Amino acid sequence: MTSLDLLFLVSGLTLGAALVFGRLRLTAPLLVVLYGLQFAALIETGTLFGEPVAISFGITVLDQPMHWRYDALSWFFAMITIGAGFFSAWYAAGVWKDAYAKGGQSPWLFHVALAANVFAMVVLLGSGDFLSLFLGWELVSWASFLLMALGGAASGRAALRYLTYAFSGAMAILGAMALLYTQAGSLEYTQVLAAVPKLSTAQISVLIALFGSGFAVKMGLLPFHLWQAAAYAETPGPGSAFLGAISARMGLYGIIVVIVGMVGVARLIDMAIPFTFMSARDLIAWIAALTVILPTYTALQQHDARYLLAWHGIGQGGYMLLGLVVGNAIGSAGGLLHVFNYAITQAALLMAVFAVMHRTGTTDLNKLGGLVTRMPLTFLVLLFGIISLAGLPPMAGFVSKWMVYRSLITEGMPLLFVAAIVGTLGTILSVYKLIHNIFLGQLRLEHVEVREAPLSMLIPMLGLSTLIFLAGFMPGPALSWVAEVQRLVGLPVVQYSLGGVVDARGGLDMILLVSVLMAGFGVGAVVFYGFGGKSRQVHQLDNYAGGHFLTADVRYQYSDNFYAGLMHLIGPWYRGAFLWLEGSVGAVVDLLSYAMHWVYRSIQPLLFLLATTVAMLVWAAV
Amino acid sequence: MEWTELALELALMPLVAFVVGMAMVLMMRKIAAKLQRRIGPPLLQPLYDIVKLHSKETQVSHGLIHEIGIVMAIGGYVAAETLLPVPGMNGIAAQGGLIALLYMTMIPSLGLALGVGQCANPNGSIGISRALTAMLAYDVPLVIVIFGVAYHYGTINLVDMIATQQAGGPATWGAAQMPLLAIAGLFAMQGMLGKHPFEIYVAPAEIATGPMVEMGGKFLGGLFVMQCFQLYTAAVLYVTLFLGGGENWATFLVKSFAVLAIPVTLAMLFPRYRTEDVVRLMWKWPVMVGLLGLAFIVR
Amino acid sequence: MTAIMKPPLLGKTLPVVEGTKRTNPLANVFDELINFARSRSLFMLHYCTGCGAVELPPAMTSRFDMERLGIQPMVSPRQADILLVTGYVSVKTLKRVILTYEQMGSPKYVVGICSCTVNGGMYWQSYATAKKLNDYMPVDIYIAGCMPRPEAVIAGLRDMIANIKDGKGTVWKDYYRRYDHYLGNQQRLFGEDWQTPTDVIGEARHYDLFGPDTLGAHTALLEQHRRPLEALEMKIEIPELERPHRS
Repeated sequence: MTSLDLLFLVSGLTLGAALVFGRLRLTAPLLVVLYGLQFAALIETGTLFGEPVAISFGITVLDQPMHWRYDALSWFFAMITIGAGFFSAWYAAGVWKDAYAKGGQSPWLFHVALAANVFAMVVLLGSGDFLSLFLGWELVSWASFLLMALGGAASGRAALRYLTYAFSGAMAILGAMALLYTQAGSLEYTQVLAAVPKLSTAQISVLIALFGSGFAVKMGLLPFHLWQAAAYAETPGPGSAFLGAISARMGLYGIIVVIVGMVGVARLIDMAIPFTFMSARDLIAWIAALTVILPTYTALQQHDARYLLAWHGIGQGGYMLLGLVVGNAIGSAGGLLHVFNYAITQAALLMAVFAVMHRTGTTDLNKLGGLVTRMPLTFLVLLFGIISLAGLPPMAGFVSKWMVYRSLITEGMPLLFVAAIVGTLGTILSVYKLIHNIFLGQLRLEHVEVREAPLSMLIPMLGLSTLIFLAGFMPGPALSWVAEVQRLVGLPVVQYSLGGVVDARGGLDMILLVSVLMAGFGVGAVVFYGFGGKSRQVHQLDNYAGGHFLTADVRYQYSDNFYAGLMHLIGPWYRGAFLWLEGSVGAVVDLLSYAMHWVYRSIQPLLFLLATTVAMLVWAAV
Repeated sequence: MEWTELALELALMPLVAFVVGMAMVLMMRKIAAKLQRRIGPPLLQPLYDIVKLHSKETQVSHGLIHEIGIVMAIGGYVAAETLLPVPGMNGIAAQGGLIALLYMTMIPSLGLALGVGQCANPNGSIGISRALTAMLAYDVPLVIVIFGVAYHYGTINLVDMIATQQAGGPATWGAAQMPLLAIAGLFAMQGMLGKHPFEIYVAPAEIATGPMVEMGGKFLGGLFVMQCFQLYTAAVLYVTLFLGGGENWATFLVKSFAVLAIPVTLAMLFPRYRTEDVVRLMWKWPVMVGLLGLAFIVR
Repeated sequence: MTAIMKPPLLGKTLPVVEGTKRTNPLANVFDELINFARSRSLFMLHYCTGCGAVELPPAMTSRFDMERLGIQPMVSPRQADILLVTGYVSVKTLKRVILTYEQMGSPKYVVGICSCTVNGGMYWQSYATAKKLNDYMPVDIYIAGCMPRPEAVIAGLRDMIANIKDGKGTVWKDYYRRYDHYLGNQQRLFGEDWQTPTDVIGEARHYDLFGPDTLGAHTALLEQHRRPLEALEMKIEIPELERPHRS
């Protein structure tokens, strides 16, 4: 029995435990322990710095062996997956689960869905050939469907939409696999890897287009992003945090395995797209950049905190792909590092938002406000999260985004650089709106009695916040994982130190930077508290309103249409082009299915008759 | 470098920035006064203002975040100054370089935004919404400039940029090599300073100075300190990128004050734009000039 | 009602006793520097209630230039040091003036410009106009005239600057020491249910200016109908970590 067997076993055991004992009260903490064991089993495989480990048994389907093995890439993604599962399960284990049950939902189903997701992803990440990849892919799709569909009507609709997209994506992947099989004669990674350099540019293009769009569906890249926001936002709390943190990154995993690992960035750069100045690499980079910008600015328009974050999730995926296809050491490391940094950030953010929902019953940004005095720790978690999501120092998100920007400067890609920063600026705008409308401003009368989130939800949130800060303060460990992944998939390997990136032409040392920032805050505090008089806190109604007397029944929180001035200008630019595209494709498919229906129901008997007659005549004539 | 030397630099750089920044505030007010044919404030007026505000007996606070916001506003700039090389002192400019500096200067804005939010005053929130929109507007030309400069010098390290320019003399200064980017940069700087015609987010008569509406005493004093740092940072950054930095303190200060005099003078000659017009203007002219400048970058 | 109608101490100024406690610890050491800075940096909130307001622009702009004295206009009461009331104060306006005054940060100075603020001026017979501003809030200086010219305004402000520099600009403390007196006058005008959203009594305690005349019959009346004004304390109440309450 290899160490990988053990990992699969524990993961399967978690699922089994959820299935069998899911209705018992003690199961929830038990599951948290089991996720912890999965994490331990993953560490035990030691595939990050060591040799890849294979599973001890294999299955053969149609003469094609299916096998599973773990290497540094699998380890990296599996670590994030299991970690996200661990924190989400902990979040769900206490008060949240009771409230969920009280709302008429089944915690058992939730536990099963979460465990199934983790298991499916662990299996997918271990795939050693395209057949097992496809199997894992389908498992992941169905598992996420299960989780998404839990929440009721709105979430059911979103899940169905996801399923439609996932099916089309899977078909594309299947097509690409068929193409590969005809060319390489096998679906083994090693044989495909050997066959890829011999493929013609046209074949490679088709391969990239098919695989790319298949994986892009999961990743939510433009133009396949429409399903994601609603599907992730409507999923019940911890499930949403889990899906938001890692689920979409399975698409990125596929892209890394196939497009970066097998085709290679160098080949992409060589592939010029006819009639343009662009190479295939530029095209993908631009898709990534647009994926950063458009969903981010869609997020800016949301007035539901969950949707706002889910839309940002789509946008942040763009940074990962962008860094990756830039392809130099710092850029690809930044893209990969962002997977980790983003996962902890998004999980913390969604957990904080769902904690607010748990206490107040709403995530509508126009119906909240002033909660910082009532839920200060949740505020802190959200604050750390938004600083990281916006990519400001000293949090984790800054490091990975810095690396992406740095690589774009080195490679001389000005427009992509501007696009990346425009995305970041949009993020800053919308996350400020998020924290302002929930936690700052006027506290509503009905929220005066609100209390801090329950401990069982706070601990994972605070744990993630600590991680966010540590990963920003000392990016070294995370960079060491990323460097191993780079070495494995054949990318140039980043030079790192404990504090950040080593580069002769301008590196990054977060330890120094953060220390100086903290010292700066210290100086600020000395100036503020030491030199200034003692402050006296006043009631929120003791406020300047042009001489007007404020009363508690008047709502004066500035929340709706927060960026009115900006929307005056860019508001008309939101035309819903992708919705229109989705609608048109849907209409065409509808039309085709009507046509087929007609063929089968009315024409088919006639055709059969005709064919039979012709065949008999031919037979008679011969 | 010795640790003591580094520590000394880290302590001195913000201090220098503050003192020079106060002189810059004075210059700004003096220029305004001269243009309006007034005498203007006395020499130590910025200092009097800051001392008075910190010594007010009443310090109205709206809560912890209100206070933390001001601490972040000052602290973020104190840290950012150590990333900005001055003659004889480099601080930690080699770590993170231009991009880290750009993002470090966003920390004070974030702190201020949080502090204002806690005040629960809609005027303040409107001001922040406008300020962030303005940031979105002027940062687009700014990042084009930053990209162009970093690409031109082949580094994001400000110390290396200064060294390159000083080795080659004025002909290799950024302004001579990249005149279009220098113009776009000046434009962006005008927006960055938040002076006319881009001061819609302050708008004293309409939204009661926006973010500052609930700030009194040391809260406002903190913002005055922040303004000193802000003027200093903008001027010195521009001098570093385009005017060869400072060979010594004399040329450094002359260049910095001269650069700052341009936007400050322009500010006194204009009324203001509405928010969406700020965005439209910033995304049109400086961006076009900047992109044109990028096309002529020689490496 | 008789309790409220107790005649306030009209025209009689009480001796102002120095408060010993300062909210800024450094103020005890650098008292003179602070007084000097205060005198040279005055942010002014002009409450333009009447015709006197037209005399302020010339005082501020190129002709007379207040900025050379360190005086500059500000917008919200939080930022301001001087409250300029520039003309007649109708009863309705007075409510806003009082709210504005209470929201300003101490030390704060009130300047009444024009005869109307001194004694009602030409509105003496009006039923809707407050006659004497210092019945409702302590006034540092009056600048009489109908209207006073900018020279007079600046001369008045210079007197005030001299007062502040000498440490005599402490009239604002009177509002906290004798809050009951001022509140009584306000209640007489606005009715019993008069209340501003500011907590003056709490502030008096904060400044150590809580005197025997801070509370009285009028504040007792205020307490009866006052809506709560406690600041929203930031509280971390994790339900699990609290001790179970047993009753």
